[in-house]
Amino acid sequence: MARSMCWHCQSAVTGEYFCERCVKVQPVSKEADYFTCLGFPRRLMLDSKQLEAKFYEMSRTFHPDFYQTKSPAEQAISLGNAAVLNTAYRTLRDPIQRAEYLLGLETGSVKDIRTSPPADLFEEILELQDTLEEYRSSERDSQEGRELRTALETEQRALEQRKQEMETQLHQLFGEWDQLQDRGESTSQTRVDRDRLLKHMRALLSNRTYITSIVNDLATTIA
Amino acid sequence: MAYSDKVVDHFNNPRNMGSFKKDEEGVGTGMVGAPECGDVMKLQIKVQNDTIVDAKFKTFGCGSAIASSSLATEWLKGKTIEEAQQIKNTDIVQELNLPPVKIHCSVLAEDAIKAALADYQKKADGEASGTK
Repeated sequence: MARSMCWHCQSAVTGEYFCERCVKVQPVSKEADYFTCLGFPRRLMLDSKQLEAKFYEMSRTFHPDFYQTKSPAEQAISLGNAAVLNTAYRTLRDPIQRAEYLLGLETGSVKDIRTSPPADLFEEILELQDTLEEYRSSERDSQEGRELRTALETEQRALEQRKQEMETQLHQLFGEWDQLQDRGESTSQTRVDRDRLLKHMRALLSNRTYITSIVNDLATTIA
Repeated sequence: MAYSDKVVDHFNNPRNMGSFKKDEEGVGTGMVGAPECGDVMKLQIKVQNDTIVDAKFKTFGCGSAIASSSLATEWLKGKTIEEAQQIKNTDIVQELNLPPVKIHCSVLAEDAIKAALADYQKKADGEASGTK
């Protein structure tokens, strides 16, 4: 993860985080992705315990507190490394964020992977929003208000159920992705599989975001 | 971060909220979403003789997304198809004074306009060639 040449003594760096010759801390490479930074392969089913252990280990290595008596250059490097490390861990520890991040690495921005917008889901969300609006302007204790509330609660449960199903499905795709990567082949078939998986994950992740967003709105309105 | 007065105004008094029937003659529907934040936008235009005579929107999202689509419908009314194509998200950013973190809302509005125009065009072409 370190640069190939020590910033201090200019010798080739062989150690992982420190120069073996002058023992100076080395900055994390700016090009390294979060997986590389934490020393994990680009997979979607990472062991959270292992990830956490590695994070703690590296935190101890780079924590700015341990560099208070060192030179300003070393202090700056430790601070920079600790910051990258924190972001990397925060991104990778959550499976959904991890997948979003990996998709970004594999495909560029969200917009670069074209999936047709889920028109039916959008219609549903906009309709639900109308009902929410009606509920907001109704008398809570009136017959109408109570009926709307019951209807919204039913919708909320149904949407949460769907979100759960999507997550189960995503989890399956994560496994398929990892298997494909583990095989490490590059045939026309694996490329087709790769694109299919990326597209499918992209669509599910997006739909999950839409549903999360309306569910949150539902929850705060009828709370 | 505080919303600009114009955003607040559009948010409190959204212009042209509502919808047309999708299959109504001369109606183009654009339905877009932002997978990053979960915002959903539906923007519709009603066209007569190549001019947009009416526009409506429905948006599920933050204040900036609502303001962007509300403003878009205001601008669309009275424009020709060709003029409507020229509306850029940067115009919306400027008019509403959107901060950098809300620029994607204006992009969404531009996407919605483009989608509505494309849908109208597709319907119009279909009718012209009799393959509706």
